[in-house]
Amino acid sequence: MSKVNWFKQVFCACLLTGSVLLTGQQGNAAPEAKDTLNFVNYRDIRDLNPHLYAGEMYAQEMLFETLVDITADGYKPCLAESWEISPDGKIYTFKIRKGVKFTDGEPCDAFAIKANFDAIIENKKRHTWLEMMHLLEKVEAPDAETFRITMSQPYYPMLTELGVTRPFAMISPKAMKDGSTKDGVQAFIGTGPWTLEEVVTDEYAIFKRNDSYWGEKPKFERVIVKVIPDNQTRILALEKGEIDLIWGKNMLDADALNKYKNSEKFGIELSAPTSTRQILLNTTNPILKDLNVRKALQHATNRAAIAKGVFHGLETPADTLYAPSVPYCNIGLKPFEYDMKKAAALLDQAGWKPGPGGVRMKDGQPLAISLLYNSNSVTEKNIAEYLQHEFGKLGMKVSISGEEEQSYRDNMKNGKFDMVFNICWGTPYDPQSSLSAMRQRVYGDYAAQLGLDDKAEIDKAITAIPTTTDKEERQKLYSYVLTHLHEDAVYIPLTFECNKALFNKNLKGVGFTQTQYEVPFTQIYMVQ
Amino acid sequence: MKHYVIKRLLATLPLLLGISFLCFVFINLIPSDPAEVALRVRQTPIITEGAIAQMRQELGLDQPFMVRYVRWLWDCLHFDFGISYTNPTRTVLGEIARCLPATLKLAGLSPVFVIGLSLPIGFLSAVYQDSWFDRIMRGAVFATTAMPAYWVGLLLIWLVSIKMDLLPTSGHGGFKHLILPAFTVALTYISTYIRLIRNNMLENMREDYVLYANARGLKQRSIFVRHILKNSLQSCITAIGMSIPQLIAGTIVVENVFAWPGIGKLCITSIFNRDYPVIQAYVLMMGVLFVFFNLAFDIVQYAADPRLRQERD
Repeated sequence: MSKVNWFKQVFCACLLTGSVLLTGQQGNAAPEAKDTLNFVNYRDIRDLNPHLYAGEMYAQEMLFETLVDITADGYKPCLAESWEISPDGKIYTFKIRKGVKFTDGEPCDAFAIKANFDAIIENKKRHTWLEMMHLLEKVEAPDAETFRITMSQPYYPMLTELGVTRPFAMISPKAMKDGSTKDGVQAFIGTGPWTLEEVVTDEYAIFKRNDSYWGEKPKFERVIVKVIPDNQTRILALEKGEIDLIWGKNMLDADALNKYKNSEKFGIELSAPTSTRQILLNTTNPILKDLNVRKALQHATNRAAIAKGVFHGLETPADTLYAPSVPYCNIGLKPFEYDMKKAAALLDQAGWKPGPGGVRMKDGQPLAISLLYNSNSVTEKNIAEYLQHEFGKLGMKVSISGEEEQSYRDNMKNGKFDMVFNICWGTPYDPQSSLSAMRQRVYGDYAAQLGLDDKAEIDKAITAIPTTTDKEERQKLYSYVLTHLHEDAVYIPLTFECNKALFNKNLKGVGFTQTQYEVPFTQIYMVQ
Repeated sequence: MKHYVIKRLLATLPLLLGISFLCFVFINLIPSDPAEVALRVRQTPIITEGAIAQMRQELGLDQPFMVRYVRWLWDCLHFDFGISYTNPTRTVLGEIARCLPATLKLAGLSPVFVIGLSLPIGFLSAVYQDSWFDRIMRGAVFATTAMPAYWVGLLLIWLVSIKMDLLPTSGHGGFKHLILPAFTVALTYISTYIRLIRNNMLENMREDYVLYANARGLKQRSIFVRHILKNSLQSCITAIGMSIPQLIAGTIVVENVFAWPGIGKLCITSIFNRDYPVIQAYVLMMGVLFVFFNLAFDIVQYAADPRLRQERD
């Protein structure tokens, strides 16, 4: 037999094997119907116990509800139909909505809510980040429709904290383990618009519409949440039609979104600002402890260029630590405008004179600082490179370095940074919770502010805010804190981050709610 | 023979102990505090120092290092690898048991691709040395060795799933879902084995027995298949033996790209989350696998090759 024949035979065998493999058995394809929404997340839903923090928040919001809802127009009734606050601000009496049932048939009355609060209070230590846990005196359910909370002191963000899914969402008392939830629950049974039908860890979760839901019922019958960790694969899966909607802050980068800007097949939605991207300046650093240097950096930051160049205009420039739309934060702070001449003058004033190689010097020391970013974030690296170049023009030598998320956070906590990227917490935690966190040693804010002369006064004001009942007085305290932080120039605000959605154009009703983690599944529907 | 096996088995014990100690030491050298990371990963809104202290106690991290190591080792010997820091409702053993089958599927199909492609291509490249086929294949081998699996995976999704619309992009379902990730994993090995087979065959072709076979007037086909190929495959078999644990350990990147819920994805998530018990169990498991396969193939070789036996006895 000749060599050529041989070659043909083997080649055909290869082709045959290949085609057999490709046309092999069919996979169990997902039901392709318009009553099913195919959603995606980068990780599993995990433990949805509403009284702990381990689960995905959007999934908890699908199953569980709280006493009140936080909306753009303020607090709205949810499981509580109405409420009264005693004149001294210490007693909250809730009238519980009648006829609401958990999906296992248990009534969601005041007794069930009391059982939930008992379970939460039993694990009080885990929830001490909520100031109200310290002030809580007792909870009572005098009858099936009345639920009462007594506090030792008035506390203004009370309803906000009760409206946050964790830990104050209600689970069926039958699903608890002997009235306790701190060591896990038996099933995820709530009163929400969806029920959890099936979960395969790290693969998918299927939510089914709760047909006996008391409120507005979802239009889709099912939501399938697939787990796809890789950013690129997620977009490819959307292109292929395997998923209908990508939703979230960190699920899409600006470049990917920009690609679909004028697409006929896919739609884009952006939310109002949820939080502020910023750079934290370490005031204990010998160079940065000088206010003039910090101010120079503020003036040398071209926020508009970052918003346009890095985010293609998908994010808007930020002039202040919190957006003016954040409660108590519209106080007319004067932004540090982009002005390189002013920045140079400030550095001159601080004693940093132009030196060899274009780097400014003072007392024989070069003007050299570092900028740390989270290497998991593509955008932070881009901004860092841009700022390195911009600050370089001023005669400042900036070295940039990226670290994986957990070590990046460790460096922040330990104050091992000159400048570092940071982000506000967003709704509904801003400003009360994120300001409160500035006093905790575990955050970069604490380390960064240590060198401020007025640090003690700022902390004192932050501590006083939650228990101040008079709204005007409270605004004064907020204004004090925010003005001082702004004038101290500790934070370089960059852009306002927003929630992003990329979806199949047949999908309607894609939007955002006041809570940045809640996906408004109830409103979303499909047209053919 | 029996002596040899017992001797080798006993020798693995200190090796495994060493592996377990090193994996414990190195993981504990990671600077982040796992208690704090656990709180971050469990999305505690405000992390207080009190909460960290409580978490350290909960996870047993307040104990001295050696106490923790001995306890961990003792539990491991009882197949208790602890509880995941980040998913406190799950045991590490349960997590591994959940993820391992998916990875084994990948690691099981990949050798089919490896053998199915590298054998004929390597063979033909040798037979038609320096032909257009050999040249193209040599170029392809260089290219695929140089391309990172992450990129290849995405290119394959784009080409096969989107442009050709043949296979699903990602996920774990039927056989169709398995093809792309398994092929991506196999690609690195395919190029290695093509070169290995081709070079071995070319070497063998210069041997005297080939000349003798030709002189005897044997059919070309029989010379190539029965003699040259057979003799060339011996070193490949040893290499494949060591590739099996490598295949299981080497799926990390591919699993992430294809959203394949296997042990590699578990490992990478655990590393990012500083989930010590899971990382430790993973490293220990891989260590045991490598030691075991090394030992098994040594024994097989020992049994198969009389020369080795004589030397050692």
